[in-house]
Amino acid sequence: MAAAPMARRATILALTAIAACGPPPTQPPTQPPALSITALLGGGDSGSFARAVAPRAFSFPEDHGPHSAFSTEWWYFTGNLAAPGASPVDADADAEQVFGYQLTFFRSALASDPPPRQSAWGASQAYMAHFALSAPGDPAAGFFSYERFARGAGGLAGAATGPFRVWLEDWSVSGGEGIPPLRLRAAAEEVAIDLTLAPGKPPVLQGDRGLSQKGRGPGNASYYYSLTRLPSTGRVVVRGETFEVSGLSWMDREWSTSSLDEGVVGWDWFSLQLDDGRDLMAYQLRRADGSADPLSAGSLVASDGGVVPLLAADYRIEPLATWRSPKTGRTYPSRWRLVLPAERLELEIEPLLADQELSHSFVYWEGAVRFQGAAANGPVSGRGYVELTGY
Amino acid sequence: MNVTLAKAGLRDWSRHPWQAGLAVLGVAVGVAVVVAVDLANGSALRAFDLASEAIVGRATHQVVGDSTGLPDDLYRQLRVEHGIRPSAPVVEGLVALAERPDLRLRLLGLDPFAEREFRSYVGGGRAGGLDEEFDLASFLTVPGAVLLSERTADELGLDTGDGLSLLVAGRPTAGFLAGRLRPTTGVQSEALAELVIADLATAQEILGLGGRLSRIDLILAPGSAGHEAAGRIADLLPPGTRLQPAAARSAVAASMTRAFRLNLTALSMLALLCGGFLIYNTVAFGVVRRRRLLGTLRCLGAGRRRLLALVLGESLLIGLTGSLLGTVAGQALGRRLLVLVTQTINDLYFAVTVRSVDLTPGTYAKGVLLGLAISAVAALAPAIEAMSVAPRNALARSELESRLHRALPWVSVGGLLLSGAGALLLWPDWGLVAGFIGMFAVLLGAASLTPAAAVAGGRLLAVPAGRLFGQLGRIATRGLETALSRTAVAVAALSMAVAVTVGVDLMIRSFRDTVTRWLELSLPADLYLSVYSTPGRRFTAPETFPTAVVERLRHLDGVARLNSLRHLELATESGPLRALAIDLDARGFGAVDLLRGRPEEVWPAFQAGEAILASEPLANRRDLTVGSEMLLPTPSGDLRLPVAGIYADYASDQGAVMLGRALYDRAWGDGAVTAISLHAAGGAALDELTVTVRQTITAVPGARVRSSRGLRQESLEVFDRTFLITGVLRLLAVVVALVGVLSALMALQLDRERELGVLRALGLTPAQLWAVVSSQTAVLGLIAGLLAAPLGWLMALIMVRVINLRSFGWTIELRTEPGPFLAALALAVGAALVAGVYPAWKMSCTSPAAALREE
Repeated sequence: MAAAPMARRATILALTAIAACGPPPTQPPTQPPALSITALLGGGDSGSFARAVAPRAFSFPEDHGPHSAFSTEWWYFTGNLAAPGASPVDADADAEQVFGYQLTFFRSALASDPPPRQSAWGASQAYMAHFALSAPGDPAAGFFSYERFARGAGGLAGAATGPFRVWLEDWSVSGGEGIPPLRLRAAAEEVAIDLTLAPGKPPVLQGDRGLSQKGRGPGNASYYYSLTRLPSTGRVVVRGETFEVSGLSWMDREWSTSSLDEGVVGWDWFSLQLDDGRDLMAYQLRRADGSADPLSAGSLVASDGGVVPLLAADYRIEPLATWRSPKTGRTYPSRWRLVLPAERLELEIEPLLADQELSHSFVYWEGAVRFQGAAANGPVSGRGYVELTGY
Repeated sequence: MNVTLAKAGLRDWSRHPWQAGLAVLGVAVGVAVVVAVDLANGSALRAFDLASEAIVGRATHQVVGDSTGLPDDLYRQLRVEHGIRPSAPVVEGLVALAERPDLRLRLLGLDPFAEREFRSYVGGGRAGGLDEEFDLASFLTVPGAVLLSERTADELGLDTGDGLSLLVAGRPTAGFLAGRLRPTTGVQSEALAELVIADLATAQEILGLGGRLSRIDLILAPGSAGHEAAGRIADLLPPGTRLQPAAARSAVAASMTRAFRLNLTALSMLALLCGGFLIYNTVAFGVVRRRRLLGTLRCLGAGRRRLLALVLGESLLIGLTGSLLGTVAGQALGRRLLVLVTQTINDLYFAVTVRSVDLTPGTYAKGVLLGLAISAVAALAPAIEAMSVAPRNALARSELESRLHRALPWVSVGGLLLSGAGALLLWPDWGLVAGFIGMFAVLLGAASLTPAAAVAGGRLLAVPAGRLFGQLGRIATRGLETALSRTAVAVAALSMAVAVTVGVDLMIRSFRDTVTRWLELSLPADLYLSVYSTPGRRFTAPETFPTAVVERLRHLDGVARLNSLRHLELATESGPLRALAIDLDARGFGAVDLLRGRPEEVWPAFQAGEAILASEPLANRRDLTVGSEMLLPTPSGDLRLPVAGIYADYASDQGAVMLGRALYDRAWGDGAVTAISLHAAGGAALDELTVTVRQTITAVPGARVRSSRGLRQESLEVFDRTFLITGVLRLLAVVVALVGVLSALMALQLDRERELGVLRALGLTPAQLWAVVSSQTAVLGLIAGLLAAPLGWLMALIMVRVINLRSFGWTIELRTEPGPFLAALALAVGAALVAGVYPAWKMSCTSPAAALREE
């Protein structure tokens, strides 16, 4: 997951939207609320937040917890799951019900130096969470997505280490002293997940030893690490029906106080888990004219955990088709070819469902994908997640 | 109606413009009072509803607790552990701004993150919201950040970012305007104008409500699903808290003030009734005066129906003109009354800020229709009379008078029957409306006896007047009887209006007396300490006296005895219930005025916490007697306790329960104290003690110390404020009656132009003539005043025994003092004399020849 400033911007937008001239929950936003986001992002206030200017030493499990000196932070879980034999009549190649899930917690600092409060409800952090479930095919077809907000006070939402826990009301991720394993729990009107994520590969420090540059100015960067392969088991409930599932999850962690460069309008982000044991992350910061910003980057993680950082020039992402959202009228790319010439890797990626658009306080597309292609030593396939913003 | 007839009618009125003018004036004042009271009542209630709408938002249900609210963790439990949403925590309290201490505002502490489904002005929505300078982050993080409506901010001259000072129980908190709220669809600016919006945390800090919520708002699905959810949630709630429909708030407000509003409406109808008398008087007199014309028209072939239409039409025209003028005047009067009504509602019931008179077409329609209806009814008898006379007889005046004389016994008997029926209606407890109808019937019936009384009075006075003033005296008194057709109704209206004055006056005096004595009895200590601002304004501050402070006070030099009191409001099935937990010792029992229950049985049970006491209004409201059981919700579960006794309490017409401190400590266990009474030791200087006490409580926010005299005075001030509006309405009824008397007497005397001309021609000097006219009107006034005395006393009796008891549940001891009677007599005679001045003057300076030549 990339582009901290954009997400931060989105979070703040969303927060202000609910408090002011935001749209009713069922309708997509028509225009961004004209509130003083600028004061929060570029004003004197953000000046006293810590900024990501140089690589730092990561230490786990502490760094799984919150970094309140930075203005924005998130815990981003996505994964592909399957319930074997759940759908014996499915004409699909894998005679099983597959699921994609997303459970994301955003922390947004409301002030860099909050005044002391008497009330226990006095909040200096706001939390937002998104929970989505993609269920292609019968019997539980559909894409479900939900959004929640809460202040980081009064026991409603928060993040902590020892033991590790991030929660927004009854959506939570929790771990023991050493994490993973992690337990993810979320339930909304029609769907619920309860998953256990086992340890997989060690943490991957993205960018330059965990410093991921997002803009040209100093400090316009985030600290970014990922757990790219977390074997997952548990239960998925869709419209009252429970599925025992297993699969792979991906966790992205990022914190920053930064802004995107002028001219960057959004990003396309890919996290792919290959069946040969490798994991690939790549994102493209997209300019208004459609071209990729040179600060786009990625990484290729070998099955033993070795990391090859990727620069913008190392890979190519070509959209092959588009999909127009009937709900918001936005047009997104919906099939891609991803080429990594140095590795002789060429993948064709397609979404599990065309419609995996989240249209809550802000609109983006985030969905489960599958892919097939060729690597240096034969054919590869796998599953992953794609995020498309700024369309 | 025939054009010629209409012209004849109009010509006649244009020759007597004062007559029509006064009738219009009478109707106008009557309608104005009705419209004004309706507007004031309606506006106050609607303001509350509007504010409720804005406060309640789209919530369907609320979790409420007693007056201390709810623990704020309950919200987390419900939402996080039990997944109950939509749900929103609310902290609510009253504040004022230091810039405008008179403007009371409602501070609403909300969680913007939970508001989306509830309140459009906070939670989003296309139409409205906040100005562009609003900054959510500082609204949430900076202490003292509040939002005001654009309207209120403009009134105070505040821009976003400006500092302000919020007063809670007189204690200032610095804050600033974080944004200006614009009205959104569904929330009007009036409703927002009363609000100060803050983040939950900020509101807790400003109100000193750490750890507490006022309530939790919920939206439950309609139908059985919602019903099921409600049951599930109710099971999750800790003792002492309750789930209730959100609409209960407005319903409670409406039912709390129902009796008060009905009383005002009834008083306003009294004014209109006086106006009705006036119309009757004018129209009847118009018929009498034109009998000759009407008879001529009949002779010329005008049909009975035409004449009926003529007279009714005239009356309706007067009614319409008066009603229209009355609605205009009523609007202006309504603004004044609204201030008084709002003040009383604030003193007695709940906080409401009303900024504007709510101009509903319904009120105007009601005013105009009432005016027209009463005009039609008032004109009916004279109109029928005009149409029923044989053409030939109509030309003769004497025929009318003798007919009236023949009817007199029937009118009197009818009046007696009406009074009797009214009295019967008062007997069984058929509610307040029946009470008012009964009272009106008694009054009207008694007023119908007036003509007979006037005749009797005239005859009675004729002998002594003849002895004293000779022929002149006899002329004056006997003239009353002969002019019955024109005087009877005037005297009836005057005596009724004066009776209202006497009745209301007696009632208020008796009430005040009773309350004063009760205050003396129940405030035996020397100093009273409390933590809320004004008596009657309950629970504006949640603070209590810390135990350490109470103990320090108890051991102060000069303090002989300390009793503590805990006021709270319980959330019961039938709405909020006031409760007083009191630590009485044997010496304090005397301060409780036990109306029912034997002291030797009551006190041991009360002290042991095995029984409670109910206040008289509560007992009346809920049909409680000694031995009845009551269910009290407490934090340690519902308690079912017997009522050991009923005590007198004039502090709240909603009623209250009194419980022993031991019981409170057992069930609540929070040691809270909201009021303290101190008995000074013998020989201790009260002034010095007051100073020491004041020093001891400086650290307690909102705490005040008052002498028992000061507290009594303050309580009586509230009492007097409450009855201010009653006084105003009474005065207006008198004004209508005065206009009536003026009109009737002027008509009478001017009608006698010819007769007086004859007297002049017979040699009476202008001064003698003036004496005749004046003494005649004075006698009329005297008769009205004398009749008003017993009638007024009767009305006071009905108001005390029936109306007040049914309205508020209070027993009042009726006190009969000579003052109101003497004042009423003076008023009646004075009014009559004033009314006679102009005709007397006019007649005395007319030359007899001119007066006689008129024909």
